[in-house]
Amino acid sequence: MLLQLNNIFKWVNSGGQRIFLLKDINLNVNEGEFISIMGPSGSGKSTLLNVIGMLDGFDEGEYHFLEESVHSLKEKHRANLYKEYIGFVFQSYHLLDELTVKENLEMPLLYKKFKGSERKAMVADMLDRFNIVGKKDLFPAQLSGGQQQLVGIARALISNPKLILADEPTGNLNSAQGEEIMELFKKLNEEDGVTIIQVTHSEKNAAYGSRIINLLDGRKV
Amino acid sequence: MLKNYLKVAWRTLTKNKTFSLLNIFGLSIAFGAAILLSMTAFFELSYDSFHKHVDTVYQIYYTEQTPKGAVASTSHPEPLAMAIKEEVPGIQNIARHLEDDALILREDIELNLDGVWVDKSFFSIFSFPVLKGDKTPIQEKSSVAITQDAAKRVFGEEEALGKTLNILVNGQEKSFKVSSILENIPENSSVEFDIAIGFQNHGSYNEIKGEWDNRNHNVYVQLDKNVLPESFENNTVAFSKQHFAEEIENAIRDGAVKDKNGNYKQLKLLPFKNTSFASFGKGVAKVDKTLTYLIFGVALLILIIACVNFTNMSIAGSTRRLKEFGMRKTLGAPKKQLFLQLWTESLIVFIVSVGLGLLLSILFLDSFKTIFNTNISFEDFSSPQIIMGFMVMLLVITFISGGYPALLMTRIGTIQALKGKLNMEKKPHLRNALITIQFGISILLISGTLVLWKQLDYMRSKNLGYNKEHVISFPLNGKKNSYEAVQLLRNELQGNPNILNVSASDNNLGRGKDGSAYRSVLGFDYKGRGIKTNMLVVDYDYIETLDLKLLKGRGFDRKFAADSLSLVINETMVKSLNEENPLSINIMMEDSVNYKVIGVLKDYHFEKLNKSIAPITLFMNKEWDMYYAYVKVAPKNISASFDLVKNAYARVEPNAPFLGSFLNENVDRTFRRERALTTMITSGSCIAIVLSCIGLFAMSLLVVTQRTKEIGIRKVIGANILSITYLLAKDFLKLVVIGFLIASPLAWWLSKSWLEDYAYRTSISIWMLLVPGVIAFFIALLTISAKTLNAALQNPTKSLRTD
Ligand SMILES: Nc1ncnc2c1ncn2[C@@H]1O[C@H](COP(=O)(O)OP(=O)(O)O)[C@@H](O)[C@H]1O
Ligand SMILES: [Mg+2]
Repeated sequence: MLLQLNNIFKWVNSGGQRIFLLKDINLNVNEGEFISIMGPSGSGKSTLLNVIGMLDGFDEGEYHFLEESVHSLKEKHRANLYKEYIGFVFQSYHLLDELTVKENLEMPLLYKKFKGSERKAMVADMLDRFNIVGKKDLFPAQLSGGQQQLVGIARALISNPKLILADEPTGNLNSAQGEEIMELFKKLNEEDGVTIIQVTHSEKNAAYGSRIINLLDGRKV
Repeated sequence: MLKNYLKVAWRTLTKNKTFSLLNIFGLSIAFGAAILLSMTAFFELSYDSFHKHVDTVYQIYYTEQTPKGAVASTSHPEPLAMAIKEEVPGIQNIARHLEDDALILREDIELNLDGVWVDKSFFSIFSFPVLKGDKTPIQEKSSVAITQDAAKRVFGEEEALGKTLNILVNGQEKSFKVSSILENIPENSSVEFDIAIGFQNHGSYNEIKGEWDNRNHNVYVQLDKNVLPESFENNTVAFSKQHFAEEIENAIRDGAVKDKNGNYKQLKLLPFKNTSFASFGKGVAKVDKTLTYLIFGVALLILIIACVNFTNMSIAGSTRRLKEFGMRKTLGAPKKQLFLQLWTESLIVFIVSVGLGLLLSILFLDSFKTIFNTNISFEDFSSPQIIMGFMVMLLVITFISGGYPALLMTRIGTIQALKGKLNMEKKPHLRNALITIQFGISILLISGTLVLWKQLDYMRSKNLGYNKEHVISFPLNGKKNSYEAVQLLRNELQGNPNILNVSASDNNLGRGKDGSAYRSVLGFDYKGRGIKTNMLVVDYDYIETLDLKLLKGRGFDRKFAADSLSLVINETMVKSLNEENPLSINIMMEDSVNYKVIGVLKDYHFEKLNKSIAPITLFMNKEWDMYYAYVKVAPKNISASFDLVKNAYARVEPNAPFLGSFLNENVDRTFRRERALTTMITSGSCIAIVLSCIGLFAMSLLVVTQRTKEIGIRKVIGANILSITYLLAKDFLKLVVIGFLIASPLAWWLSKSWLEDYAYRTSISIWMLLVPGVIAFFIALLTISAKTLNAALQNPTKSLRTD
């Protein structure tokens, strides 16, 4: 078992009223799964993903990740946990504009205090694997959307996470680019055993996954 | 990691060129100005600190009670120093110090040097470094110590040590041996001289010797290490009572009121390190470092304004980088590293700015020195402590102004950061407060500028009661007797239609090129009351030469043989004597000599305008020397006449330099302090307003970008250009108005207290407070409009598309 959510509630208070963003979410995820989260806009998909990724907190319930009880961890420990095991992929890529492709890939390694030589080797390896060696000195603005997302995924993968969280990774891409990304996810999942949870609007993309979770108004349906 | 910080910092800075340049530009100017100003202030504060014993050295002065209140006197009688050393315990060293020019004669050289006539212990008290010769100078009566520069002027390239030179004492040449060569007196010394001569050699020595009622020199004392100055002062009470018994009796008779300890004459000690800041106002030395701290203040205000710009721009600029920071967080960046990242960027900007600021200050050092009349140099500030202090201060400044925005950024939650939006409901209170402060400071400085200008103008254009436009004065600094010199001058200039009058007196008006300023006060008894008056010895035609107005009687006249016993007094003196008919006044002076008042002058300003007009009495007695000649010239061909006078004096005294200037220049020279202050505050306020506007410009730039979409929507709905500009500008202009409301009462109060030091002063009119506000408002309006108009004019489809 990679992670387990038990009766998760999340709400915000607005005008004296409690508005639920997540309502009684239960979810078990095993290592090696490929899960797609679907639902209409505003149904809480991103919120759920952020809770799983520990970027956001929740108000009630329990969350176990590997052997740790996330709900009782201090923020610093939580940060160390996701830093180590989770990679994020965003709809709008979120690459650092003033860094080149190579430097963007190197960034997470810097924060994890890898040695210079190690970093070089890992970055070179990743560039190779994603076939973007020729682009290593370009800045994000000089790449197409698909290429940027490729770099985004490479960056998420570089420190060998157990889990990839992808929030509408193909949302800004055309269908051919989107398909390429999906194929990449499939390959990562099948060949490298990386667990993937993705949010998507497209039935076709959802079909790449082994399991689909549907959300409506913060509730699993 | 550091390399990475630097790389990212560099790229961010080059990406936001406008902001980086605005920041660097503003900060460089601010640092340049602050460096020069604080150097000036430090220089002032370092005065006399080079003396080893400076902490135990004091200048002795007396507070004397008179019927008109307490007065201070730094001049002492000859026996005082030695008597006090014997009778009052606690003195390590004591020295008399008389400042008087020494006319040096050697071969064909005839040269006036700045002389000090001192006891030999003077060089134990003070540490003027000896370059060559005796380490303890002037041990013998006939030896002198001379500075390196002065030695060169007297002896040229010859070795001066051991040579002899002659000094004119009471009209006779006396021979002295140069026993020590001193290093040149440091710029930050309040005691200055070219040559030091034994006290007993001074021309007045035989006259003053043993006399307790004849005072003409300063006394400096070095106390034993553990002696408190207050207890020393208290220990001198009996001493003063005994030696000044007669004076005290007279004071009591005239109705003087004793001080709170029951004394009429109290010895006081002024710490020597404070002498350059001291003035003797109401009987006690007032140490006033306001001007120096004002300089620091202006430097600080300018720095604050520039740092506020920086902080505002970083806060505003960093909101555009929220996404980046959110992303870095998801990649595992700890807060500490995010903080360091942002701070590195600030540090780079600051280091570049300080470098440029230093460069600016070096470039402008020379003009700064002439404008502000200071002698600062970078060598004085190259000591490790000062450089360290500078670095620490720099670090603190960057830590606050760069660290605060960085801290704000790291506090924002990851998700919120990733969304790239800050809570927009919250108003940027800090930013607003900072902008308000900036404009408050600018308005304050502009007001100060106006008040200073008006006072300066008032003082310069005020009718002083004498002709300052057409009268040249110059020191009679030659070998000849002054009366003889003036007569020769008259002969030389006679018959020339452009020369109207020639006369002389023992004092200058205003401050001449020789830089001297004397004041001689005479006290005598009149009808059982003690009277004090300024005393002026004049030659014939003095009143005519200066166009002084005679109200009653006559001036000194060659037709009257007995005029050496006649007096001409001013209106204030008449009041002080309290007589109905001044021309009937007879005054007994020096016990037996009877003087008669022959004329009354309309009051004129013979002193600077911060003093009200005091009593003055004009004497004409050939036994007393005169030191300045006056020549009135015709209004036309003024400069030709000036040359004429100069050439005539060169024929009278071939070896003496001509240091003549028109009296209005002399008067101007007395305003040097005011002028320096005015120039400083003026430039300060210019810099302040420019920097504030740079900040405002940057802010409006940001607000416009932030609100592009809103502007587009409003235009689509139908808002016109004016209303949009107004919408964008009003938030900022409100701040300027608040700044004005805070600053102008402060400006009014500060100006008022500054002007109170001047007996004759301009009034503060309401426009002097309003105009700065209006100026600031319009400059701010212009600055904001530049960007907002542009935004308002843009095609709305363009701005809406950016989303
Ligand atoms: N911090 C928050 N405060 C208030 N409302 C929020 C907050 N975060 C999300 N929401 C609301 O919760 C709902 C779910 O948001 P989100 O998870 O982003 O939906 P999805 O990704 O499925 O489109 C939306 O209606 C959103 O407006
Ligand atoms: Mg979403």
